[in-house]
Amino acid sequence: MLSPTSRLKPLEEAAALVPDGERVAFGGFAVYQKPMGFIRELVRQGRKNLTVVGSAQSYDVDLLAAAGCLDCVETSYVGLEKYGLARHYRRAVENGDIRVVDYPEMVSWDRFRASQEGLAFWPVPFLGGNDIVKYNPSIKLFACPITGRPMHAVPAADVDVVVIHALAADERGNVVFPARRLLPQSNDVLMGRSAGKVVVTVEKIVSNAFIRKHARLVELPSYKVSAVVELPYGAHPTPALGAYLADEKHYEEYVAASESAEGTAAYLKKYVHLTGGNDAYLETIGAAQLARLKDMDSLL
Amino acid sequence: MMKPTLFETLAAVLAKDFNNGEVGFTGLLTGKAAAMFGTAIPIVAMELARRTRTPDLTLLLAGCYHNPDFSQLDRMPDCEHDALLRDLSAEAQTYDYPGQWALKRGDISFGFSSAVQVDVVGNINSVCVGPYEKPKVRLVGPILQPEHMTLFRREYIMMPHHERRNFVEKVDFISGVGFPGGEKGRRELGLDWGGPALVITPKCVFDFDREIGRIRVKSIHEGISHDELREATGFDLGNLDKTPITPRPSDDELRIIRHEIDPRQILFAPL
Repeated sequence: MLSPTSRLKPLEEAAALVPDGERVAFGGFAVYQKPMGFIRELVRQGRKNLTVVGSAQSYDVDLLAAAGCLDCVETSYVGLEKYGLARHYRRAVENGDIRVVDYPEMVSWDRFRASQEGLAFWPVPFLGGNDIVKYNPSIKLFACPITGRPMHAVPAADVDVVVIHALAADERGNVVFPARRLLPQSNDVLMGRSAGKVVVTVEKIVSNAFIRKHARLVELPSYKVSAVVELPYGAHPTPALGAYLADEKHYEEYVAASESAEGTAAYLKKYVHLTGGNDAYLETIGAAQLARLKDMDSLL
Repeated sequence: MMKPTLFETLAAVLAKDFNNGEVGFTGLLTGKAAAMFGTAIPIVAMELARRTRTPDLTLLLAGCYHNPDFSQLDRMPDCEHDALLRDLSAEAQTYDYPGQWALKRGDISFGFSSAVQVDVVGNINSVCVGPYEKPKVRLVGPILQPEHMTLFRREYIMMPHHERRNFVEKVDFISGVGFPGGEKGRRELGLDWGGPALVITPKCVFDFDREIGRIRVKSIHEGISHDELREATGFDLGNLDKTPITPRPSDDELRIIRHEIDPRQILFAPL
């Protein structure tokens, strides 16, 4: 009998699945469970002209903005929640370096639902009078063919590639999600089902037997997944539900560095432009700090 | 008579505006003033209403946690989707979209928004200051404001600051639609229901003349002069001679807030 194909790839190789100019969606939501380890690799490889499509962004878009990797962002929110505005992103938009296409939050999810259903658009009946429509020629007014009421056709997310960070997968690419999940993890499932190319970084590669034990929680089976990468603490400094909490200490360091060009250059040198990839990053953060972030979850 | 704080007064004003059986949606805002206006006051208002008038009101914390047990919290949560809230006791927990509430069918009775600008027709803005294509300040984006201002049955706009730059003739970007052209104007835009009911600020309460679609002062908070209010507002307030003072909560309401809802001063922590 032939063996199933392994989709396990080193980080450097998987990052090549997101080339210059790609339309890419990053999983997670706002400041939760962002595939930061993968994004750091994109910065290391000097990726250019990316368009990020999503529902709510934070450190993902801000780090890419800091390194000049972005052309365009299509989303509902870019901010750092309690740490305020995303400084790099804000400056880049104000300078005209990044184009923003604003979408409402749940419409942003609906754009991925459209892609998942193979539709070119999602019908939205509540955008009349909103400036989102005024500045976005891709949104088209139409009359509902059944009732005649005015609606807007909002384009599907239509991304080239989706990148998410999950807890575990096997080498074949079966990805398991915790039963006790929240909106960011559900967003990952939605995004992972809405594109033809999906890259998943995971805390741990597990055996096929482990996957079989959790079959109901395998929301993305192997045929949906193009590549898996084992990337411990791959969401850091954002949290990964069921594994670790947000690193508030690192957030503070990041935000302080983002106030000036010198601070940003020093941050990128210290945490991103490292030989030795993700392992070198984790060494720099330090074992004691990482250990303190453990999410105990439920013992039941 | 017991002396209320401003926040207690505002919670009591809101509590009288809710109806039994409604579903109220709060976000989880961060930053002292923003969290007070956007999260703490709405929670206290709903808890007060549940205890005094509307036992079947459902409180949705962060849009996900149905009637959570606040007595289990040691501090106000400051993250919407992290482990602390995952483990909070609630009657139902939303973890996917679409989830328990059917947003577009109008399941949410009311919500609470904050914004950087509000204008005379009740439009709100959290996208940019200055021209959209070359903004002076790029803000976070529309977030859920478009949905709050149209799909929710009504909206309370919670403004933590009342300065001229926040209350403007016309917002720089409409990310949430008010009453342009009044209720008729909203219908012409294809909006079946919703829109701002009240605007709550540290200086006054606004409501709307829905016929003409214009904001008006409903009441002025104790100790705020007409001159001070006009000075802090970027549009004409009209004649204020007959405008009442914002009513104080009753002693009963204050006792419920202080002893039942927030005995450990977690929601109304001293600023």
